[in-house]
Amino acid sequence: MIDEGRPLFVQIAESVEDSIVDGSLGDDDRAPSTNELAAFYRINPATAAKGVNMLVDKGILVKRRGIGMFVAPGARAALLAERREVFGARFVQPLLDEARALGLSPEDLVTLVRERADVPAPAPSPASAPATTPMEGLER
Amino acid sequence: MTVIEVQHLTKRYKDTLALDDVSVSFEKDTIYGLLGRNGAGKTTLMSILTAQNFGTSGSARVFGEDPYENARVLSRICFVRESQRYPEDALPTHAFRMASLFFPNWDQAFAEELIADFELPLKTRIKKLSRGQLSAVGVIIGLASRAEITFFDEPYLGLDAVARQLFYDRLLADYAEHPRTIILSSHLIDEVANLIERVVVIDGGRILLDDETDAVRSRAATIVGDQAAVDLFVTGREVIHRENLGRVASVTVLGDLTADDRAALQASDLDVAPVSLQQLVVRLTQHAARGAAKGDPR
Amino acid sequence: MSRTLNVVRMQLANRETFVWVPLLILGSAFAISMIIWGILSSAGVTVNMYGGGAQAPLWYFVAVGVQALTLTFPFSQALSVTRREFFVGTMLTAALTSAILAAIFVVGGLIELATGGWGIGGYFFALDWLWTSGPLMAGLFFFMLTMTVFSLGFWAATIYKRWGALRLTAILVAISLVLLGAVWVITATRSWGSVMEVIVGSGVSGLTGVLTVLTVLLAGGAALALQRATV
Repeated sequence: MIDEGRPLFVQIAESVEDSIVDGSLGDDDRAPSTNELAAFYRINPATAAKGVNMLVDKGILVKRRGIGMFVAPGARAALLAERREVFGARFVQPLLDEARALGLSPEDLVTLVRERADVPAPAPSPASAPATTPMEGLER
Repeated sequence: MTVIEVQHLTKRYKDTLALDDVSVSFEKDTIYGLLGRNGAGKTTLMSILTAQNFGTSGSARVFGEDPYENARVLSRICFVRESQRYPEDALPTHAFRMASLFFPNWDQAFAEELIADFELPLKTRIKKLSRGQLSAVGVIIGLASRAEITFFDEPYLGLDAVARQLFYDRLLADYAEHPRTIILSSHLIDEVANLIERVVVIDGGRILLDDETDAVRSRAATIVGDQAAVDLFVTGREVIHRENLGRVASVTVLGDLTADDRAALQASDLDVAPVSLQQLVVRLTQHAARGAAKGDPR
Repeated sequence: MSRTLNVVRMQLANRETFVWVPLLILGSAFAISMIIWGILSSAGVTVNMYGGGAQAPLWYFVAVGVQALTLTFPFSQALSVTRREFFVGTMLTAALTSAILAAIFVVGGLIELATGGWGIGGYFFALDWLWTSGPLMAGLFFFMLTMTVFSLGFWAATIYKRWGALRLTAILVAISLVLLGAVWVITATRSWGSVMEVIVGSGVSGLTGVLTVLTVLLAGGAALALQRATV
């Protein structure tokens, strides 16, 4: 779960964001407290706090005085938008690079994607398919 | 707020320097990892801070005062040694009762929870306890003392992996409820890497590193790939470890990698692997040892 | 102050060392003496019999003094007790146990005197010479003797801890040489008579005074050595 690559607090923040994105933490839900996160991931509370603060600064979490930390309204939408922007660089580019190394053309890629997503051969109306379907088809 | 201030502390034993011009400070409510090899000076430093040993020169101030014979300061500190000696015939309960007499924040209920957690046999004399059980006594005293500054000097020798995890979990949970300064010395760096906020590495009596854990983690990277390309990339950087397998080289360098660096690496088809805290500390100390062997005037 | 008293409690946590064993030794020495006197008495002995058994627990107090340091000092350091608190608390504990022993000694002696030696003329506690200045002085003497013996053990252990076996042995040898030298001088000048006169003349109180000085010296030496002792 925790890897060596990026700072711990960043990973903590991302895991909270993941929960928001996949819907387990809804807008206005109470977010896990610093201590809960620290205990769950077995890390120092200060590190967990750093991650939480990062999310507060980003506007994803909001602190309600006397009550606790909550998911900000519109957080999920904001995260989805952010992730879609980097989706191309983060997921598609490596895909293209690896495909090129294996000698697969972009058309080959499209065919592979369609096969896996179980989408029938092109009917030229990209606007009709709901934006979320291709994402669901991709293996995470 | 600084609770421990060490300035130019030196400890000389005949012709060896156990501590060599050590300057470091420790803040309130933080968990520190004091890392280093055997004989690096960790225990010596902690002993001097608790007035159980004395420096040859330099100063060590705890809560702004000299800890020597200072009950006001000492009552707020707890130091559990790696090989703590207990009154021979005492039972663990005696040891805990004595601890409760001297630590103002002692929590007996917490101690009892820990006794149950570690399955400590209370009717067995301390001198007859196993190594692990003996460590458990020390750990329980350290945790239940709730001292404002608590030192743990490799207290979990003899504890198996399950018991160690128990210690880390209890430590974190209690620290969350009752923040204090905890200084943990350990060999098992990767095990404690997630607990500690700051890392202090001591080697040959000198401080090699004193920084936030996250900063330390991002401080080094291992570049892997074709030897020529790797060598080209690492010119001008501080290399702390190098391995070769055929034409593939794996070189660990210090220093942050910028976005440009990462682009260059990708372009040269080189891989970047993260360096775990343990690897980093090991490489750093090896590097320092090599430097010392070459007569490096550090 | 309360921390110092807690050191007393810490030392007494090991009740065996400080209380039970000395009492056991005293008790057994007493029992043995009584048995021997019983045998002698029934064999027709009518003179007063004096037993020296009361000094038996004293030798053990050397061990108590040693253990008070070796067993408890390292742990006291872990509990962040200062060396001063440890020293004062330990000496207080010694005084407490010495006082208890001395009290037993005095009470036992008073009973002996009242019963004419347990009815058989056997004197374990009320040794003539010791009681010449009365029970109080005898008790004080016994108290001081116990303290001196304890301090001897404590002092030796502290020197050992601070400077090691070699230096301790060297010091003991040096002291022995000084004593031997004194004996030699006294013998050479044929002054044993005068020396004996002084000793006997000063009586119990004088001897108690000497013991007090000895205790102060030994305890003081231990305190000084403890100042920079490390665990």
